[in-house]
Amino acid sequence: MKADLTWLDDPQTFRINQAPAHSDHRAYATEAEADQQQSQFVQSLDGPWGFQFARDPQHRPVGFYQPDYDRSDFDQLTVPGHIELAGYGQIQYINTAYPWEGKHYRRPAYSQGADQPERGMFSTDPENTVGAYVKRFTLQPGLQHRRVSIEFDGVEQAMFLWLNGQFVGYAEDSFSRSEFDLTRYLQPGENLLAVEVFKHSTAAFLEDQDMFRFSGIFRSVRLVAKPALHLEDLTIRAGVDPALTTGQLTLALQLSAAEQLVGAVQLTLQDATGQPVWTAEHALAETVKLDTTLPHVHLWNHHDPYLYRLLVTLTDATGAVVEVVPYPVGFRRFELKDKVMTLNGERLIINGVNRHEWDAHRGRAVTMADMTSDLQTFRENNINAVRTCHYPDQPVWYDLCDRNGIYMMAENNLETHGTWQKMGVVEPSYNVPGSLPQWQLAVLDRAKSNYEMFKNHPAILFWSLGNESYAGEDLAAMDAYYHQADPTRLTHYEGVFQNRAYADRISDVESRMYNPPREIEKYLQERPAKPFLDCEYMHDMGNSLGGMASYAQLIDRYPMYQGGFIWDFIDQALWVKDPVTGKSVLHYGGDFDDRHADYEFSGDGLLFADRTPKPALQEVRYYYGQHN
Amino acid sequence: MANTTKLNLIFGDVTLGVSGPHFRYIFAYDRGGLESLVRYGKEWLYRTPVPAFWRATTDNDRGNGFSRQSAMWLGADLFTHCTAVAVRVDGQSIPLPIAPENNRYTDHETATTVGITFTYTTPTVPATTVDVTYDVNADGGLTVAVHYHGVAGLPELPALGLRFIMPTPASGFDYQGLSGETYPDRMAGGQPGTYHVAGLPVTPYLVPQECGMHMATDWVTVTRERTLNNADPDHEPFQLTVKRQDAPLAFSCLPYTPSELENATHQEELPTPRRTVLTIYGAVRGVGGIDSWGADVEPQYHIAGDVDHDFHFEIAASVQN
Repeated sequence: MKADLTWLDDPQTFRINQAPAHSDHRAYATEAEADQQQSQFVQSLDGPWGFQFARDPQHRPVGFYQPDYDRSDFDQLTVPGHIELAGYGQIQYINTAYPWEGKHYRRPAYSQGADQPERGMFSTDPENTVGAYVKRFTLQPGLQHRRVSIEFDGVEQAMFLWLNGQFVGYAEDSFSRSEFDLTRYLQPGENLLAVEVFKHSTAAFLEDQDMFRFSGIFRSVRLVAKPALHLEDLTIRAGVDPALTTGQLTLALQLSAAEQLVGAVQLTLQDATGQPVWTAEHALAETVKLDTTLPHVHLWNHHDPYLYRLLVTLTDATGAVVEVVPYPVGFRRFELKDKVMTLNGERLIINGVNRHEWDAHRGRAVTMADMTSDLQTFRENNINAVRTCHYPDQPVWYDLCDRNGIYMMAENNLETHGTWQKMGVVEPSYNVPGSLPQWQLAVLDRAKSNYEMFKNHPAILFWSLGNESYAGEDLAAMDAYYHQADPTRLTHYEGVFQNRAYADRISDVESRMYNPPREIEKYLQERPAKPFLDCEYMHDMGNSLGGMASYAQLIDRYPMYQGGFIWDFIDQALWVKDPVTGKSVLHYGGDFDDRHADYEFSGDGLLFADRTPKPALQEVRYYYGQHN
Repeated sequence: MANTTKLNLIFGDVTLGVSGPHFRYIFAYDRGGLESLVRYGKEWLYRTPVPAFWRATTDNDRGNGFSRQSAMWLGADLFTHCTAVAVRVDGQSIPLPIAPENNRYTDHETATTVGITFTYTTPTVPATTVDVTYDVNADGGLTVAVHYHGVAGLPELPALGLRFIMPTPASGFDYQGLSGETYPDRMAGGQPGTYHVAGLPVTPYLVPQECGMHMATDWVTVTRERTLNNADPDHEPFQLTVKRQDAPLAFSCLPYTPSELENATHQEELPTPRRTVLTIYGAVRGVGGIDSWGADVEPQYHIAGDVDHDFHFEIAASVQN
């Protein structure tokens, strides 16, 4: 297959030759490796890459992926990072309108009829910037002579991949991991990897989040080898009986072999002290399913995020260990009881925040230090829940939330705000995905990537379909997908508030944003069908967060009011050098000559962009402490 | 002691001077207010204190149109002027003691108490007046009373206070009240205590705006180290305390006026700090927060323009901290 630029224009083409999404477990050669979290099967490709920037597809270096292409004029760029923050391409912050507002007239493909495919919209877009990346690598010993995949944790917004001049695949969905099998393209010694990243594709219509608009390989990239026997996918269901005493563990494993699937899988569940509480063994097969019960299971919750550890060990016919996969397991019971969400039998109170991934130096390429700092802030301020607004976060964030007892609303990478709301008015005449069949597979794929990758995290209580995308058959299909895939969690979507025709088919909770307390009270007094939560409230822009008492009072008065997520956790602003004084200053939308812009509207955090707390944080600490 | 000490009065042609051990005040008829407040030889005023009617627009103010609806108060904050002065000595009103009325006084006039009221008239439509009364006690303490006359048709007030601009930037301030920056609708999380704030921090909101409010305060002591007096080479810290009277006070202590904050789109556009702007508030509007593109501050945190407002505080005779 050859790469085709017109895939950028087609909402029905969003993944080519990508490996199916699967659980985010990591494989190790030995238990000792697993304990140290240093896998010999993993080779990071982060660091300097060769790079060339083009202002549009017509000016891109065509064929740059060929081994004999003259790349002597290529620059260097650090991965992960945003192309714009490295000085290529203009920085822009815009909220609901699309970034091409005032520059290009666009309607999403098929939104004006099945005969309106809008060909060429992005493949011939004179402002669709392109990043041509190249990286040379030689496989490390742990990866040699094995099946090897490559994982891109985040590439915004559409990418083509080549290895040694051969086309490998194509991916969209900036915030989900894209994985490709490289095995058949690898050569001994040095290999040449090439990635062509386009700032815009039809995915742009699905990624209209209120944020700075960047492009590039902004999360880590790594090579991953599969040993001769490999756990491809793992599904853990760790529940507890209604009496909250007996743990119920159900496991489903998908296994593969380089040659023959012969051997055994050993399973051990260890408690937090490392003592085994359950072991089992099963002959290898493509699918292995096991279940067991645990008397007096230690449950997981915010205050006591108790984690067991599952150890999956694959052994070959001789009994030799081939692969070890550890995975933390949290037992809990999350359910609707009398229309109230309960966790381990108790009414759930969400003291939450919306959290964009943000670093004032690095944009959305956040670091582990950023994440641990954020969790420290959560701890100090009685924040017990996070909504990953409005896309999946870096995978490690989900591990951290498991370990720190942070309830997660795991949101899809979806926002189509500009297609249905203009200047505050609901006007969905060209809404996508809506009920358009041509857009449904793309959004279902996003839902599936989110579920498959993160399904084993006890921290996740909600699958969120996305943000501010209106409602139609395609959102309903996403909701149905989650219910079919996962009976242990609830679905969330606020946008159905804007189209009540879908109220029975979308979202297990009534979710709204920025509703005044008296309107919420009205809902709660009218024998509502669903429990209520604020997916966004207390818009903490600038000097704000007054009146939180009125929301806190609802918690005491209405069991079906279950709290919410403050908008939002951290200001989005960027450190730049002030040309007048030479000092570092924080800049926002419009400060980069970017137009149309939404200026300071990205400054709504409980923290300033440099992670220092805003004064309002002590108010959050107080009210969240009342129901902690 | 206080009862045996008399205030010395200087009935000047354009001012009333009041002095005692360690203090000297000049109330200026021409400048329309308290022009000079000297303690232990250190001047505390750069210009006469005037009523404060404005706060730098917050993001929520902008979003819900409050600043537009109350824009008259920005003009009032900048251009209100003094239209009447009244003087009382030992509780008795006297004719305004300017020439020739003051020809009957000497250089040895004394009194136990002196009161002077400045009436300010706003350039709003309709106009209203604010009376600011200073009572000088025998110990040198100043009791300040502010009375706002409500007038039907006036929009809600962004703020109501009395603003003291000091000649040099403070090195810091201490106060007894609540931790952090608090507003009427955002003060539950404030921890009561005594706090020291170094310098004059401006809360670094992306767009400079109203900030630094401290609700429910018992007293605030401002510390400075320099004066503008060319003959004063001393850099030892010196202090002034403002105390609550009948009710807790609210204050902010910043290097900028609301207009200076209002004009900047970024922190780096704010001017180099040169003064201390201590504002004592009798009424503070909430900051709101339901959303920043429409929702108003909850009604109980508004300041009505059509009803009277009163507040009192004391510029203490001695320093507290």
